[in-house]
Amino acid sequence: MSAQAETTSGAGEQAVVRNGVSIDPTFAEAFPMKATRVLITAHNDTWARNAAVAMTGFATSVIACGCEAGIERMLSPIETPDGRPGVAVLLFSMSGKELAKQLERRVGQCVLTCPTTAVYAGLDEGEAVALGKNLRFFGDGWQISKMIDGKRYWRVPVMDGEFVAQETTAVVKAVGGGNLLLLARDTDAALAGAEAAVEAMRAVPGVIMPFPGGVVRSGSKVGSKYASLMASTNDAFCPALIPLAKKTELDAGTRCVMEIVIDGLTEADVSAAMRAGIDAIVARGGEAGVTRISAGNYGGKLGPFHFHLHKLLGAEASV
Amino acid sequence: MSAAQGFRLRLRAQPDFRVDLSPLQPAALAGRDVGEVARLELRHANAHVELGELFDVDALSSEAPELRLEGDLRRFDRIGQAMDGGCLSVTGEVGDYLGAAMRSGDIVVEGRAGHLAACEMAGGRLEVRGDIGDFAAGALPGSMDGMRGGTLVVRGNAGARFGDRMRRGTVLLLGDAGDFCASRMVAGTIALAGRVGAHCGYGMRRGTLVFGGSAPDVPATFAETSHDIRVTWALLSRSLGKLHPAFDSLAGRVPRRVVGDLAADGKGEWLIVG
Repeated sequence: MSAQAETTSGAGEQAVVRNGVSIDPTFAEAFPMKATRVLITAHNDTWARNAAVAMTGFATSVIACGCEAGIERMLSPIETPDGRPGVAVLLFSMSGKELAKQLERRVGQCVLTCPTTAVYAGLDEGEAVALGKNLRFFGDGWQISKMIDGKRYWRVPVMDGEFVAQETTAVVKAVGGGNLLLLARDTDAALAGAEAAVEAMRAVPGVIMPFPGGVVRSGSKVGSKYASLMASTNDAFCPALIPLAKKTELDAGTRCVMEIVIDGLTEADVSAAMRAGIDAIVARGGEAGVTRISAGNYGGKLGPFHFHLHKLLGAEASV
Repeated sequence: MSAAQGFRLRLRAQPDFRVDLSPLQPAALAGRDVGEVARLELRHANAHVELGELFDVDALSSEAPELRLEGDLRRFDRIGQAMDGGCLSVTGEVGDYLGAAMRSGDIVVEGRAGHLAACEMAGGRLEVRGDIGDFAAGALPGSMDGMRGGTLVVRGNAGARFGDRMRRGTVLLLGDAGDFCASRMVAGTIALAGRVGAHCGYGMRRGTLVFGGSAPDVPATFAETSHDIRVTWALLSRSLGKLHPAFDSLAGRVPRRVVGDLAADGKGEWLIVG
């Protein structure tokens, strides 16, 4: 599930058409989150990625995972504190406390355990939360602290040598839940469009697309006919329910919808990623099969961040 | 006379006895005028003397708190003691307790420093371009803890007990160290470009000694470890290289590592590059 709901169109506004792709007069509604960035380094790219993939597993949605996490980008040796290849990972959660819990568990089980890795703070400014501060006790008294350039590192003896972890990382306010809905004529076209958009969005710093491959097919609305569920399928965007649902946003030619959810360190980062995604779809053109772009919101009443698709386009008129 | 942020003090006459210069704090004197500074009372043996009787005082056009001392100040102790901000420079030699317990700021001494320099230093940067006496970066007499923060750079040689009981901070010694270097060291980093005297690391509990120059004789109470320490070494060697060019080349080399003193917990380490 993703935490998105129905699309709300502005009264009287017209869709903008770019290169055969119709862009709805609507907006994505996003929420404040807490986030941190950690840098994982290792002997080579492969092991750095192995650790990062494990650490960001089962972290698609805060609805049930505790956090949303993903690989921001790979790092070259000149970009890392210890001169080894690395990965920048972003974690988002609804509270600083939950983020700290998820961070410690995930680093402890997925990075500490991964051969040759070390882990460092990826942000300098913000509230400090434990990174290696508590994991050091795995060293059973053999751990060593080292202050270097004003930062404390813990060196924990492990079977391949030492696990080095910076004591803390910084947590900052962030934005979660930016999104794009890609409406396509069929599955092949929807997947190809979504993949192209995600690839373009991954080039934007400070964001992750936390779902598998960056794409979610089970967009959700708030609530359910079942009282125990807080979210359920976004029926207005389900092709199967075009003739059945009380309200549908789809026409008969739309047979597949994919959603891309974006979490970012700042509102500007999310905007930039959404813009990159829209541009990628528009560049492919409507002929490629993604004929319409929309976004999910809750009527603008729940989340303080509104990403209007037309403002992102910088356009108000049809082409 | 108008207030100034900085002052130049030129020694006019050698005192008969030792003088305590700890009242000369750049941050505390900033904003005063030359007359006020000249009337400052200094301890001179068991009496007092006005600063103006020993020094010519001029105002500097500095924008930040600054003190420049000029002359042979071997009879002047406690220069920069407990200093908390500003810049203090000395062209000449200085007495004992240079920068003791300093918390922040920058001290540069062009000449030699006496004993107990940087004792219990907690922050800031202290550079001595000449030699330094005994007990530098250690503990003040009667105290259990030595240097606990900041950066000390010594371009010349150091006396005995260099870094005794040191527990935090970074020390770079470009010359040779005397006997009992890093004795009873608790933590922190000492990087050495020269040789060390006898009993280096005696009773060392934790902390790191980096030997960038000649390799020391490893005592029987230290043992070699052979594991991969390249990550820690990368962090440390890069940091030392940034602090002084004499340690620039460390990053490209892999050190031997020995741990000890095994008679005192054994969690101290020597990283031997030379």
